[in-house]
Amino acid sequence: MRLRARFGGKMVAAVVILLAAAAIVSFLVYQQGMVLAKDFYMIGVSSNAPRLDDQRFRVIQVDQSVAGNALRARKIDVYLTGQTIFYRDDDRSQYATGAVKTYLKTGELQRVAGEYPLNQAFPLRVEVNYLKAPAKAIGTASVVTVADIMGSAHGAGTSGGQPGALQSDSTDSQGQSLPAGQTITDESDASVRDQLAGLSSLRSMPEFKAEFASNKEVIVPSLMSPPIPLAQVLLAFAYILPIFFISIFFTSGFIEEKLGRKINILLSTPVTPMQIIIGKMLPYLGYSLLIVIGITLVLRGNLLMALAMFVPVILFIFAIYLGVALQYRTFKDQTFFSLLAVTCITGYLVFPAMFVGINDLSYVSPLTLAVQMYRGIDITPFQYMLSTVPMLLVFVLALTVGSRVFHEEYLLSFKPIQIKVRDAIYFAMDKHHLAVSAAIFSLLFIPVVFMIELGIITMAFNLPKVLALAVVIFLCVIIEEIFKSLTVAVGIEHGLIKKWHQVVLLAVVSAAFFFIGEKLLLFMSLKVISESIFTAAVFASNALWLPLAVHSACTLVVCLTTYRLGMKSYPLALLGGSLLHGIYNMYLIGAFR
Amino acid sequence: MKGFLSMVWRELKLLRKEKTIMFAILIQMFIASFSSIILLGIMVYYDPGSIGQNATASINVGVLGDKNSQFITYLQERRHHVYNFDDADKAEAAFKAGKLDAIVYIPPEEKGAVNMKLVLPDMDAQATLVLMLLKEPMERYENYLRDKQGVIVRYQDIKGKPFSTYEFLYTIIIPILMFFPAFIAGSMVIDSISEEIENKTLDTLLSAPVSINWVTGAKIIASVVVGALQCVLWVVLLGFNGFTIQNVGMILLLSMTVTGIVAMIALMVSLVFRDRERSQFIYSLVILVMFTMAYFVSPSPFALVARLATGDPFVGALNLIVYLAALVALAAVTPVITRKLTTS
Repeated sequence: MRLRARFGGKMVAAVVILLAAAAIVSFLVYQQGMVLAKDFYMIGVSSNAPRLDDQRFRVIQVDQSVAGNALRARKIDVYLTGQTIFYRDDDRSQYATGAVKTYLKTGELQRVAGEYPLNQAFPLRVEVNYLKAPAKAIGTASVVTVADIMGSAHGAGTSGGQPGALQSDSTDSQGQSLPAGQTITDESDASVRDQLAGLSSLRSMPEFKAEFASNKEVIVPSLMSPPIPLAQVLLAFAYILPIFFISIFFTSGFIEEKLGRKINILLSTPVTPMQIIIGKMLPYLGYSLLIVIGITLVLRGNLLMALAMFVPVILFIFAIYLGVALQYRTFKDQTFFSLLAVTCITGYLVFPAMFVGINDLSYVSPLTLAVQMYRGIDITPFQYMLSTVPMLLVFVLALTVGSRVFHEEYLLSFKPIQIKVRDAIYFAMDKHHLAVSAAIFSLLFIPVVFMIELGIITMAFNLPKVLALAVVIFLCVIIEEIFKSLTVAVGIEHGLIKKWHQVVLLAVVSAAFFFIGEKLLLFMSLKVISESIFTAAVFASNALWLPLAVHSACTLVVCLTTYRLGMKSYPLALLGGSLLHGIYNMYLIGAFR
Repeated sequence: MKGFLSMVWRELKLLRKEKTIMFAILIQMFIASFSSIILLGIMVYYDPGSIGQNATASINVGVLGDKNSQFITYLQERRHHVYNFDDADKAEAAFKAGKLDAIVYIPPEEKGAVNMKLVLPDMDAQATLVLMLLKEPMERYENYLRDKQGVIVRYQDIKGKPFSTYEFLYTIIIPILMFFPAFIAGSMVIDSISEEIENKTLDTLLSAPVSINWVTGAKIIASVVVGALQCVLWVVLLGFNGFTIQNVGMILLLSMTVTGIVAMIALMVSLVFRDRERSQFIYSLVILVMFTMAYFVSPSPFALVARLATGDPFVGALNLIVYLAALVALAAVTPVITRKLTTS
């Protein structure tokens, strides 16, 4: 309904025309073959040079006698003859040479394949075998041994696994075991032919390969092409982008009602805020679910698994956008906040997923699971929980706070964001049981902190290691201190906490629950993230009482300073507590030893 | 004229308060500060083969079989460490202890095909990396074997540089960076106009003695200035990361021209559709079609930026004229259309 109201009349005509134009233009571009670097390199060729049929190359005939001058005068980047390539030693010419060489290689391989018997044209075949990696071969002793692998190469006569089988085998490989050798060559010939077939379609879209080379696969070095992981990340993107669009409609619908004061009418009815929020969200959630189902069906993924992975993602995105909707009143603000949200969410979801298989930190993102699903790799329950539980908790947090601040005073007030956030916490607090509120908030903040910290860790991989460690420690410490003391600070600000012993009690409760929750999460995540010095630095601890004491002490420093000096000094207080915490963490990872 | 300049100044001041644009620039700074590393990461997607080409890492290879093989020489020339083993079990023990990254079995050279065996760690990424690092020595060995049988593959001994990073940077990344500010600028114009319409300030402006075209003109100029600043920032930041861009002046002029064109189109879209959400949607579609269509111009704006940035001597000021002409033509009709749209 809303969609129809929004896209009526003139709009429909414009959209239809534009989409048609886009379709036609894309079709034409597709027909031409999309090459962004059209005429990028200037190639001079002699009359007997092979044909260069690639839009990147602008080819001009140059006579051999003037070619040297043309090259020196930078009229051409390289000069190609029937036998060789001439080039200068500047970058542009060198890169052009590389490009021409790579292009010609394909043609040469095809020529060689056509002119000679296959075992002369491609005389080297490499059988790829996988053996359980050093670190992970703890419990399951691998049944296959290197001797087995080597033995099976010539394994007709000798049984595998015998030490020394190799030597005897290779010496008489021309003798008795010839029939076996023959079949192997036939087999590898077949895979050479397969790989050759791939060569002719080299310039088209790279094929999606789930694995580089499967076990026992025979590869030919010159025909080998690595897998392109992009396909998988693109798949994952296909899910996230539509959900973004839908959630933006959700937010703008919300803001429109706020502006039009329709919310006031809703608020005066007996419906609870929670019902209003969920009611508004449901249709959009429905659309998102349909999209996930549709995409999974089109891509032929496992529907149940896809839903299990993407429902938390959907809820998470909607939680963030609910925050956007509640915080802001104008469209301009919304543009900003939506952009911020899109950047953060995309960064959080996509960046880790780029490291699938490279770093275990990639399990932070459910997209990693999606990539694994499409690759057919099993997903452990812990991996699943690590990536989805924080998202679900963020959703719960957003709903809880959202329903508590859902009244006119908050929704229609116009204040800077940090005050808005503090107000939200104030409204969400149970004023009679401050300790309970502090405890619950501490627990609910953990996933938020966890996600921010993992974001920081991922980003920090860009920096040199020592610097990265320092940056990670201090940023994370500051984040932790903010969230541990925020509830208490808001209580102080609004005059809910009047006596200093209350401050002490609440600070300790807040810190303790944060600490307990964090340890639980650590226990869970350690099952997935192993041996990362960064995680060790962030969640480091051996004994339990000392860290608990330090956590509480730091929070106390922040809270008591804020209590004495007022909310204005909160940043200062924060710095003090963070410094203490940071020094402790440095001590833990052995920076002072 | 002085009045107009002060209006441009007012728009710029308004923009400074605009969090969106400030945030965009912040992200830009952040990305640029890591651009060399991010580029390496993205390259893995664009051309996975570049891992092996760009990585200088050396690996530990355990060798079984023919100890005098030419392949071992090639491995050593690639600075990989070669360890000879007589016994498969010992090699396996070393592999499992983490001392070896790969084990190769090299059969003796013979007529016909040589069936080499390779043992890799059973880990997705690591196996890929090791295999990519072994690719070059393997290819050299393959050519050596071909040579021995009288099969000559031409153009193999030529050096050249791995070009994919270069192409990716100059034909995709830099054009995107140079045209992205244009896209943002149009979006900003729409926001600004539709806000004026919503707040009814446009009507006030219409009744004021200044012409509507002064108001819209100021907005467009302001957006072009901001766009140009962003481009300059990019060039400087990329320079810090060691990526040099040539013909900066011409690239900047091209970017500003395109920004101007886009901003004027955005202006008209927002005046026709009036409401912000619809305008932004239509605007995005129009831009999509426009940029795809620009592909058929030769050289297309993308290719032009790429070739200017690499210092291609065959492109220059002459190629900019098409775009400047389009800008001038649009600038001539925009005031007329604007007046018509706002008075009706």
